[in-house]
Amino acid sequence: MRAGIRHEFLYFALRNAKLRVGLSILLLFIVAALIGPLFARYDPNAYVGPPAHPPSPEYWFGTTTFGQDVYSQFAHGLRSTFVVGLIGGGIGTLLGILIGLVAGYRGGLLDEILNMFTNIVLILPTLAVLIIIAAYLTVRGILVESIFIGCTAWPWAARAIRAQTFSLRAREFVDLARMSGRSSLKIMLTEIAPNMMSYLFMTFILQFGGAILNAATLDFIGLGPTQGMSLGLMMNNAVLWAALQLGMWWWLIPPGAAITAIVGALYVMNVGLDEVFNPKLREL
Amino acid sequence: MGLRVENLRVYYRTLRGYVRALEGATFSVADGEIMGLAGESGCGKTTLGHSLIYLKPPMTYIEGRVFLDGREVPIWDMKRMNEFRFRRISIIPQYAMNALNPTRKIGRMIAELLAAHNVDFNEILPELKRRLDLVQLSHDVLNMYPIELSGGMRQRVVMVISTLLNPSLLIADEITSALDVSTQKAVCEMIVEFRNRGFVRSTIFITHDISILYQIADTIAVMYAGQMAEKAPTEVILRSPRHPYTRMLIASLPRVGARYRQERLHGIPGAPPRLLDPPPGCRFRDRCPVAFERCQETPPFVEVEPGHFIACWREI
Repeated sequence: MRAGIRHEFLYFALRNAKLRVGLSILLLFIVAALIGPLFARYDPNAYVGPPAHPPSPEYWFGTTTFGQDVYSQFAHGLRSTFVVGLIGGGIGTLLGILIGLVAGYRGGLLDEILNMFTNIVLILPTLAVLIIIAAYLTVRGILVESIFIGCTAWPWAARAIRAQTFSLRAREFVDLARMSGRSSLKIMLTEIAPNMMSYLFMTFILQFGGAILNAATLDFIGLGPTQGMSLGLMMNNAVLWAALQLGMWWWLIPPGAAITAIVGALYVMNVGLDEVFNPKLREL
Repeated sequence: MGLRVENLRVYYRTLRGYVRALEGATFSVADGEIMGLAGESGCGKTTLGHSLIYLKPPMTYIEGRVFLDGREVPIWDMKRMNEFRFRRISIIPQYAMNALNPTRKIGRMIAELLAAHNVDFNEILPELKRRLDLVQLSHDVLNMYPIELSGGMRQRVVMVISTLLNPSLLIADEITSALDVSTQKAVCEMIVEFRNRGFVRSTIFITHDISILYQIADTIAVMYAGQMAEKAPTEVILRSPRHPYTRMLIASLPRVGARYRQERLHGIPGAPPRLLDPPPGCRFRDRCPVAFERCQETPPFVEVEPGHFIACWREI
């Protein structure tokens, strides 16, 4: 039975062009993030070469105004971008699912309390809180940044999932499951969640992309990681030191293109996965 | 032993007060009995059926007791009811065709449902297949998604699932309403077959179609505005009803061979009372041709002949 399901899922997944394209691009970048830094010959922040050097066999992606190796920055930045996306997006999605499902399925007083909590976090001035936190944390890493992004990004996901749950819990099959004596937890996990699986995945994708973009924003106002490198930091350095005006395209384009490609691939994948998850959208 | 319901009162809680949808229902259903529950829309048929398995808010338990096979059923207790649901009291809902999770294959859905009741799927699989044969479904449906089946097939699947653990009580809630006549017949025959083979012991068949009950029910209970009006064996209800509402209801059925060009089909004049604040006494009073002063009091539901219960002051 189990093997059959997996087999069928794979069958439809592998036939879906959108999923194949999205997944290929994503895998390409994941591989690049995993093994790319192994080929980086320099420390991403060290001043190793001539300033503003265009791409060459020695410096694959060229160097920055200060003579840092762009390829090393890119490879390390890609890695931390995935870390931020996974951890930040993961925390945001999990919190959103948990709070949204429970509030939507249970309803009543619990829903009131959770919804109020959601709204409070939603209207929290993220930037102001960030500045305060940054003032206390003098040493910030990628990990802390991602956790903080995840903990502030969940409210809209929770609200959307709550609304979906509200609509699904009134459906006939959920009603019958209740009348068949299934527990609330099982109903949430096997009756309600699978019916919005594609939506949950989309939430994760949006959270993933949102976390990457949020991290870039934080980097820009000087609240990013004090150690390490990220694609956002690269772009902002490039903008700060007028890479565009000086014609240093090699400093600007790799991080920008990578972020766009990663987020875009995730979106395309999402549409493909929707078609795989939902038997009604499957094409034989 | 069967099912025994004593003075069951279930209201709907609303902002403007309680809607008295089920007022003091007392009746019993014997082992192997198919009881038809008839009445017009909004008379409390479904409220009665659902209250025996799942009190969905805003349904509120007021009073009354329910016994199944001599054991009390705690219908007011959501948690404790879980051991009764599906295993001992089961329902085929009105919307049976949409009652399957669209993201689960039917076999997997059944396995999960059985696991929730600590029953091993593989152990029951041979019996499940026998029952699928009985309702003329291929075993392949277990490996299919609900959208791959027709509406009628889905309903049969739900019927098989609902009766899989041989419940003592089966509630069939208007299962024929959305079907064409030939499918109606097949579904009704299935309900009788389930009873004859001992898959279910007692059945409550909720419908507003009395002609269907004539085919399959052993007894018929007629409800009016939340109260039981009359319960008797099928023949008695159809041939010699005694409650004025039942009489008018039966009289309003179209007769085979009758011509309605000259004589119009008769209905019952008036409308049922609002249940938010119903008048005291017999609720049929305002529409009843034989009402008198005594009808200001609520008539008791008494047995006038063996197996024949009536709630009417004229008849007791």
